[in-house]
Amino acid sequence: MDVVFPLYTSGFLDSTTNLWLALLIGIMFGFILERAGFSTSAHIAPLFYFRSTLVPKVMVAAITTTATLIFLGVVFGYIDFNNIFIPSTYVWAYLVGGLIFGVGMVMSGWCPGTAVTGVATAKIDAIFFLLGLMFGMFIYFYLYDAYEALREFANSANLGKFTINKLFNTPDLRVAYIATLVMSFGLLAFMIVMKKIADKKGDE
Amino acid sequence: MKKYINPIGAGVILGIALFISFIIAGQGMGASGAFARATAQIAYTIDPDFANNAYAGKYLKSGNALINWTVIEVIGIFIGGFISALIAKRIKPEITRAPNYSKTKRLIFAFLGGVLVAIGTRLARGCTSGQALDGAAAMSVGAWIFMLAAFGAGFLVAFLFKNQWKGFK
Repeated sequence: MDVVFPLYTSGFLDSTTNLWLALLIGIMFGFILERAGFSTSAHIAPLFYFRSTLVPKVMVAAITTTATLIFLGVVFGYIDFNNIFIPSTYVWAYLVGGLIFGVGMVMSGWCPGTAVTGVATAKIDAIFFLLGLMFGMFIYFYLYDAYEALREFANSANLGKFTINKLFNTPDLRVAYIATLVMSFGLLAFMIVMKKIADKKGDE
Repeated sequence: MKKYINPIGAGVILGIALFISFIIAGQGMGASGAFARATAQIAYTIDPDFANNAYAGKYLKSGNALINWTVIEVIGIFIGGFISALIAKRIKPEITRAPNYSKTKRLIFAFLGGVLVAIGTRLARGCTSGQALDGAAAMSVGAWIFMLAAFGAGFLVAFLFKNQWKGFK
């Protein structure tokens, strides 16, 4: 039997249908983000002060659910893992990019996806965030074009499609799956403990 | 106003939606890429020379940068968010901030934060959705490098922006 999933990258879906389905997938995504309370920065920013565990709870539940389903799909031979898109791991660019991103996120109270639902619920700060986001994209395009050093840095230390099992020099996806669960629940436990400590300290 | 749903339940449903995205399109849900493409398209419309830009050029090579999976998916995010908020009666123009915080300062920080987030996403090839959530769900090391760096930086500098959010729970 042929492995049929993912449908599009395995050649079972034409690109027009795939684009229409993108709209439906986006609608699901936006609906859930709004339901969970991500359409206001008031629910996102407290994360950085250990005042709320909403963001880590949603993220960890989502990551572990998807990872479990993908892992089972691959193990039982329904999903071709090679056809799943995973961005290549560029160690230094991801580290520095993450640091800049984190500062921007606590400064603005938004990230790109949540800000789209923020605009959908008429949050003015979300509109300003997205304008800043596009301005920032333009700055990056300009700098990337102008400076060879940036191009070199952004593309250095490329490990390719680097799943966690490769860190342990094994092709066994079970290692990646277990590590994903440990990291995810570890992150959630950390956030819950930090919130307990912050609660004890009282309001600042 | 309706209440929000349980975070764990929301996360599990989000995870199922993400899985559906992976098994249909072969990729997870993204957001920042759509704004990178929109910016490239606008710049190109103003100045066609922009097609030669070392970064944005790749978006413009195949014609319109906006005919793309993530761009269409982000239009979906807007529609989905709007439908949910409409049903829950949560659509209300406001500037989210601490009660006595300056509106102007809040909007400046929202804009500048957006600029930083954009630069972060270009270096990291994605944001909280396309890199952290999708990558971690696909068991990638890079997603964790990005996520831990982003959270770490956020925790470190959070005190600078505390007054924006004072009084929020």
